[in-house]
Amino acid sequence: MIKLKWFGGVAGWLLPAALIAAWAVAVQNSWLSSQILPAPIDIVRSAINLAASGELTANIAASAVRAGWGLLIGGGIGFLLGLLNGLSKTAERLLDTTVQMIRNVPHLALIPLVIIWFGIGEAGKVFLVTLGVFFPVYANTYHGIKTSDPQLIEMGRVYGLNRWQLFSQIIFPGALPSILVGLRYALGLMWLTLIVAETIATSSGIGYMAMNAREFMKTDVVVLAILIYALLGKLADAGVHFLEWRVLQWHPGFKRR
Amino acid sequence: MATQAISKNSSNLALKLEQVGKKFGDLAVLEDLNLDIEPGTFVAIVGRSGCGKSTLLRLISGLDQPDTGAVYYDGQVHRRLNGGARVMFQEARLLPWKKVLDNVCLGLCKQRKDRALAALQHVGLEAKADEWPSVLSGGQRQRVALARALVHEPRLLLLDEPLGALDALTRIEMQRLIEKIWLETGFTALLVTHDIAEAVALADRVILLDGGKIDLDVAIDLPRPRHRDHPRAIELEEAILQRVLNKPE
Ligand SMILES: Nc1ncnc2c1ncn2[C@@H]1O[C@H](COP(=O)(O)OP(=O)(O)OP(=O)(O)O)[C@@H](O)[C@H]1O
Ligand SMILES: [Mg+2]
Repeated sequence: MIKLKWFGGVAGWLLPAALIAAWAVAVQNSWLSSQILPAPIDIVRSAINLAASGELTANIAASAVRAGWGLLIGGGIGFLLGLLNGLSKTAERLLDTTVQMIRNVPHLALIPLVIIWFGIGEAGKVFLVTLGVFFPVYANTYHGIKTSDPQLIEMGRVYGLNRWQLFSQIIFPGALPSILVGLRYALGLMWLTLIVAETIATSSGIGYMAMNAREFMKTDVVVLAILIYALLGKLADAGVHFLEWRVLQWHPGFKRR
Repeated sequence: MATQAISKNSSNLALKLEQVGKKFGDLAVLEDLNLDIEPGTFVAIVGRSGCGKSTLLRLISGLDQPDTGAVYYDGQVHRRLNGGARVMFQEARLLPWKKVLDNVCLGLCKQRKDRALAALQHVGLEAKADEWPSVLSGGQRQRVALARALVHEPRLLLLDEPLGALDALTRIEMQRLIEKIWLETGFTALLVTHDIAEAVALADRVILLDGGKIDLDVAIDLPRPRHRDHPRAIELEEAILQRVLNKPE
């Protein structure tokens, strides 16, 4: 039993570890040119070097700030608009068609326009991330509110809840699982947007670091940048997981594990 | 302690329906219905599925408005929700994101946790106060729903087949519990049920709804505590059943 448990914890890491080992061996024996893929140890070394010079942290910080602002603004607007359209028939009639139309424009297609509007400054990137995260948060908030259980709302009315109490005690908690799913999607789109935006026009950030390294053929830095993106994505996902675990304890699907 | 929290209500509600009618599109569910209920009585409403029992209860609770006629609480026309009436539905309708105790506290101000706990004690579930509703059994959920209704000291309790989904044993337990609490507190009770034996076991008066009207209105004059195999109970049950069955659809 104990052995099985130990195995369960480690099992997921066996394959990645094997892949990294194979990779290291392949580069070591020159089966693979280090121009194409540098040895894992080289990547670690360049990470240490970049971290020591402060370049790495500065670039991560620049990316994180963009991501954060974009998420805050786009997610905030999406959340509020989702609430509004979910709760008010009038607002829904006025706004939902427009929002659905905006959705059909792939936000990355706006990059040329955004560069004309904002140049290569921060605003353009934040704007793109805002657009990217807006829709998943909007759609899932709206859906969550719309699908709240009419039986529970009726019960709340019989038990004398006022409109605010109906919202805060019945409608919103019921919509929360859906809203968090929206946040999850939004985080994925947030990094994706940032990756594209930063490789096209920037003077800082992880994407800039990667593009800059490409010009000097520093493959190790390019791979490092990719890994950092993956790590940040994982971190964001873990954050939502934690949030779900905290606020959805009542939900049979999110029981403490 | 529990009996203190849910005290005997001196002013139970007198309910009166006058020429009440309700239509859904072309379908007249209730027509010209008159009903007078003395304060503190336990009335059971039986009838075929779809005959309008739930509709009637919704009109009485104020969740819906009649198209014609009016509902009176103590002689006053009743239009708004929350006039001292509480409803227990067929499903428990507990909020899954609130602990059991907080479910019972619903619509109660925060300082009244003690009363909610007393109500839970009353239905024998104080041990589950800190659980999520999802871990309760169906019968336990209905008991929590009962506690939630009782904590408001309703003057009128409307029960829409609250025991319909329970197994036979749990049903009988719940019937006893409801009767006991009703005897202690004496609210006016209106129970919709499809189980005629249940109606005869619990009610002072059984009303048969048919064709949008009251088809039969019998007083059940059996002493309490009641026994199901009392010959008079069986006789009454049989009479009501025959009346339901002999009606052409
Ligand atoms: N909101 C509504 N819109 C349209 N028709 C309705 C509505 N509510 C009820 N009805 C109709 O009114 C009739 C009576 O419904 P009701 O729910 O009162 O029946 P019931 O006696 O409670 O039946 P059951 O024993 O199956 O619960 C049914 O034919 C139903 O289809
Ligand atoms: Mg019904």
